[in-house]
Amino acid sequence: MQRKISPVAKQAVAHYIAQSELLNEQCNSAALQQVRTQAQALLTEQGFPTQRDENWQYTRLTGFVQNHFDIKPALPVTSEQIRQFMPDFPVIMVVFVDGWFNEGLSDDLESLPNGVIYESFRDAADIVGESSKLYDREKEINKEPFGVLNSLLMADGFYLQLANNASLELPFFVLHIQTRGNQMSNVRNRIELGENAELTLVERYVSLVETFEGENLSACTNVVTEIELAKYARFKQVVMQEQNDNAFYFNNQFIEQADNSSFNTFYGALGSQLSRHQNHIFMNGEHIESQQNSACLAKDNQTVDSRTDTQHNDVWGNSQQLHKYVLTDSAVGVFNGMIRVDQKAQKTDGQMDNKNLLLSDVAKMDTKPQLEIYADDVKCSHGSASGQIDKNQIFYLQARGIRRAEAVKMITHAFLLEPAELITNDKVRHWVTDRLSAGLARIHQ
Amino acid sequence: MLLKVENLQAEIDEKQILNGLNIEVKPGEVHAIMGPNGAGKSTLANVLSGRDEYEVTAGTIEFNGEDLLELDAEERARKGIFLAFQYPVEIPGVSNKLFMQTALNAVREERGLPALDMFDFDEFAKDKIDLLDMRADLLERSVNVGFSGGEKKRNDIFQMALLEPKLCILDETDSGLDIDALRVVANGVNALRSPDRSFIVVTHYQRLLDYIKPDHVHVLYNGQIVKSGGFELVHELEEHGYDDIIQQHHKD
Repeated sequence: MQRKISPVAKQAVAHYIAQSELLNEQCNSAALQQVRTQAQALLTEQGFPTQRDENWQYTRLTGFVQNHFDIKPALPVTSEQIRQFMPDFPVIMVVFVDGWFNEGLSDDLESLPNGVIYESFRDAADIVGESSKLYDREKEINKEPFGVLNSLLMADGFYLQLANNASLELPFFVLHIQTRGNQMSNVRNRIELGENAELTLVERYVSLVETFEGENLSACTNVVTEIELAKYARFKQVVMQEQNDNAFYFNNQFIEQADNSSFNTFYGALGSQLSRHQNHIFMNGEHIESQQNSACLAKDNQTVDSRTDTQHNDVWGNSQQLHKYVLTDSAVGVFNGMIRVDQKAQKTDGQMDNKNLLLSDVAKMDTKPQLEIYADDVKCSHGSASGQIDKNQIFYLQARGIRRAEAVKMITHAFLLEPAELITNDKVRHWVTDRLSAGLARIHQ
Repeated sequence: MLLKVENLQAEIDEKQILNGLNIEVKPGEVHAIMGPNGAGKSTLANVLSGRDEYEVTAGTIEFNGEDLLELDAEERARKGIFLAFQYPVEIPGVSNKLFMQTALNAVREERGLPALDMFDFDEFAKDKIDLLDMRADLLERSVNVGFSGGEKKRNDIFQMALLEPKLCILDETDSGLDIDALRVVANGVNALRSPDRSFIVVTHYQRLLDYIKPDHVHVLYNGQIVKSGGFELVHELEEHGYDDIIQQHHKD
């Protein structure tokens, strides 16, 4: 059915299709051109979601659609400028500027340990050509509106492959930095872990400045990451979203797991006027574990949206989730979680918990935890609770001499940091809790 | 005089609970407040410690010559008022240690003392832990989370020992405790008695008072103190219940 698309949205669609055409003109890979062309047709047909779409009811794209983001070359950035964004623990660092891989700022990726291959997406697209698995998941990806946009504008990202039994001792740290207003950083990543391979990935999304030069321009980041975990592979991930308050952020992760693999991800949201982070997990084997946790903090008029879709498709799967939001001022929080248990997936253990703290009378939380169970021998639960700080807790601290403002701070801090406490790598956990604490310090000013 | 309460009237949710209550506490004295359910015992404890859901509609409270009603709960705590809770509150994610270090430093700031760092705090806390016979690991855990009823009450008395208040108000601290826990709590209180520290022990039962042996006992009924006496009043109540005193009060 042809959808009705508003004139404003039509202009945006036309703009992105023109951008896609420009990319296709400069592109040598027929396969990639085809992927973009398919996406052009989809976007023309569907436009962008509106509030009438159930999945976008509370995450309004009005602001996004009014912008026409361009895919322009990155502005020059010095290593001095990015130093402030580097973590305080040793990593292998990869830097993306305005959506483009920056080899000069990144660590030497030629001499990674045996069995570990890194390619920028640009190079991978050229090398592997038609026969690759690069575009195998397009159908799934294009079910998401920002997946379509990502396919449409696909130009760079990274391809990381770990052979069977390969591992990296240090976390792989990917820094995405926005330096120019009105830029679309469109990133497509693909990560493959062979059997018994192990990887820790830390991603950080930042803006170089609080506001871009000239006007109050915003920038947009739109990521799609495919993750494939072979048997016994272990993948740990932290994503810190700390772009400036004008920015937009969309991220769709597609994770496919084989027998006995484990996937563990933490998402921390602090920045952007509108952000939406989505995990789509396919637990396609026996004895698979997945853990998805998040800590989302929003102030002013920020909208922070985080979603999980966890599909248990085989026996003895275990999925655990804890998602916490702290909202203040007029912020809007959105959580949507689905655990789907296939008829075949007996002995599934799926737990999902969402807890939200509202620090103002006008902050809003919309939450929708869902279970769909088609197997009969499973242990699944979901829960959600939203509320203000318990008066009894505040009084208890006050009655011990702690000032009210300090009491609120202590309780809020403890509340938001709980999901981060589940990060097992000590150095990464400390770094994340520091980031979250700094974010909280800003709302308490 | 450490505490002087005159004609105190207070309400919660527009329901009047205290109806002109008077009490005076000198330094070093231990007062027990007894009374039937609904007499206003917990209201008195909460009003003294500054809980803002309770509204004082008339009367005065002087603490060390200062108007207490002008002060927030945290100011009162800093000036030396301590409330041991009937139901100590759980605070997930805040470690007992961080909580107590923050509280102790707040009180020390008021007294013009330097803040204690983590190591000084550990040292300072050690004696108090021994005094209360506390499991040391309770300090590392989240405040009262997963504590048994007895552990929660003990934790409150431990906090009292740390903060060294001038006036300790125990709000039915004995409720829900078995005899062993009761003894530990009572021992803690007795160990903290000193000439410059006073206690108001609010309770429904006499058994805690058998251990603590208060100097003064007051019977609270309908938001007023209807009878005061010495420790012997506890046993009078034990024998005859509240009815005699209440009937006598109604006759007067």
